[in-house]
Amino acid sequence: MKFKELIKKEKPFFGVSLSFVWQGLFFYLPLIFIILLSVIQLSTIPGYYKIGLANFLYFFNLSYINIILKSFGLALINCVLCFIVGFPIAYFLAFKAGRFRNLFLFLLILPFWTNFLLHVYAWFYVLEKAGFLSNLLLFFGFIKEPIGFLNSYWTILLVMMYCYLPFMVLPIYSVLERLNKNVLEASADLGASSLQTWFRITLPLSLSGLKSGFFLVFVPSFGEFAIPGLIGGDKYVFVGTVITQFILSNGSMNLGAAFTLISSIALIGLIIAMYLVGYKYIKNFGKIDD
Amino acid sequence: MSTIRIENVTKIFNGEVVLDNLSLNIPSGKFFALLGPSGSGKTTLLRLIGGFEKVDKGKIYLGDQDITDLPINQRNINTVFQNYALFPHLNVFDNIAYSLSLKKVPKDIIEDKVLKALKAVNLEAFVYRTIDQLSGGQQQRVALLRAIVDEPDVLLLDEPLAALDFKLRERVLIELIELQEKLKTTFIYVTHDQFEALTVSDQMAIMNHNGEIEQIGTPKEIYEFPVSSFVAQFVGTTNILHGALLKDQDSYYIDVHGLGKFEIQVPEHKKWMVSESGTKIDTRAMSIRPEKIFITKNVTAGFSNVVEGIVQTIVYHGRSTQYNVRLKNDITLQVFEQNEEHFPQEVIDYDNTVYLYWQKDNVVLLER
Repeated sequence: MKFKELIKKEKPFFGVSLSFVWQGLFFYLPLIFIILLSVIQLSTIPGYYKIGLANFLYFFNLSYINIILKSFGLALINCVLCFIVGFPIAYFLAFKAGRFRNLFLFLLILPFWTNFLLHVYAWFYVLEKAGFLSNLLLFFGFIKEPIGFLNSYWTILLVMMYCYLPFMVLPIYSVLERLNKNVLEASADLGASSLQTWFRITLPLSLSGLKSGFFLVFVPSFGEFAIPGLIGGDKYVFVGTVITQFILSNGSMNLGAAFTLISSIALIGLIIAMYLVGYKYIKNFGKIDD
Repeated sequence: MSTIRIENVTKIFNGEVVLDNLSLNIPSGKFFALLGPSGSGKTTLLRLIGGFEKVDKGKIYLGDQDITDLPINQRNINTVFQNYALFPHLNVFDNIAYSLSLKKVPKDIIEDKVLKALKAVNLEAFVYRTIDQLSGGQQQRVALLRAIVDEPDVLLLDEPLAALDFKLRERVLIELIELQEKLKTTFIYVTHDQFEALTVSDQMAIMNHNGEIEQIGTPKEIYEFPVSSFVAQFVGTTNILHGALLKDQDSYYIDVHGLGKFEIQVPEHKKWMVSESGTKIDTRAMSIRPEKIFITKNVTAGFSNVVEGIVQTIVYHGRSTQYNVRLKNDITLQVFEQNEEHFPQEVIDYDNTVYLYWQKDNVVLLER
């Protein structure tokens, strides 16, 4: 009886703790496994192993640091592209779409009802040699011979931008939608051009959406392995590719675990660095220039 | 010169005509109120002047300049919004300095102007507060300062006091009047509150439900000499009696069905309303303000009109008492009596038979 009452009273607690259990089982426990794996060094003699940091040291050479930086660059450019393409979409949805707003939102999310791999393979038909894009350009006479667009850095970015775009659009849209439209009118009323209003009012006020959009795009982009693998072939190696290779192909799981940790720490460090630099500039938006 | 001249302006929203061929002159350097019920298009008119909406037909002039197609940011017209529309990410100083900083005014001049403005309204202690740390009244002042700091030709105020409580509203109204007198900027004040409009304006225009202007004039002209029953009823409280307007020798009378004749003054320009002898048209209306009626239980001399009735309800308002008196044709008249004494000599109670007296010059013959 008493136990039943307790359960009834503490219902919210049990509800929340379920998510803790979930997170513990599927996030913290695997993380602990990865940490344990990363410090175990197998030796040539079966059954013998050492514990130490040698797995980490293995990756402290230029080619791997280069891969981390390249992934960082890819994720950052992807974020910027998503922002450049996504902000106008979010702005349109929030202010101009009117009664068609829900339809457009639906269309934006619709592709995500199909499998992610299907999106990527769909792009194959567009970008491959003598594919849709090539034929289109041939038809209009921009090119003389069919060309392929696969296996290039910019194609990887294009497809990644396509896949991650909604993660940038939706948070910005939700902030813009709640924005008091009179505030933008007030800015124009006080003499600001549309560009000035955008820089001094719209952008700073959509910053919270921009931040969540940035993390939603940046973090998965950094570890992305499927799109570079499928679109870029084996020519382009990023963090995700290296981890996959070590853990799946070579069977050297311990090295893979170590690299996973290194890239995660690098990611956190880079995000903190970007935050510190970005914050200093962004918080002064709209203020009087010196 | 910062006169606003609106010529034959038409505005259509989603197929609905909000303003139809409207013309209006707003004099320079005056406090002008646009008064109308909600849905009368007064805010639309304000937004057209400010440039927030495009006119569908017609022209708008600021002085001699045609500003019909001038973008918002190039009009030297600023707005105080109903919800203030302050920039939530900027503090008080940066909000007020916004327009000046866009114009690349030197920083020390901006600082000087903003601080001076804040000092004038006793807000200098709040310079670096964020907007959400201010009360409604303080936000209202910041919005006002932000709009006047770069000295616009015209200031538009869109129901700026709607969110304030009554006491504060009275105080801000007086501040607004003083500010306008100091700046000599043309103020255009949109409101549905007749008290605000009467208090604040040098001149006012009354708009009706169809987006037409019913009457333009000083508050006194509007209140004392309304041209239509719409104006008479919308501005203040009034009694309207319908009847035929007749001429008898040199005097004029309104013949109200079932009540009798009441003497009325007919100015020269309203002579056309008098019925031909013999024909009775029951459509003329006259307006008598409740405070212009004298209520008593005793027969009194010296008034041009009298009617008898029975007191139906008595409402005590503090400074005045309102009597609703039913006349013998079942029409009810409202009467206000000032409560001048603690112990009035004559006590009027429910169901008393009373006489209502008024002078013929205190009645207005309504043209519409």
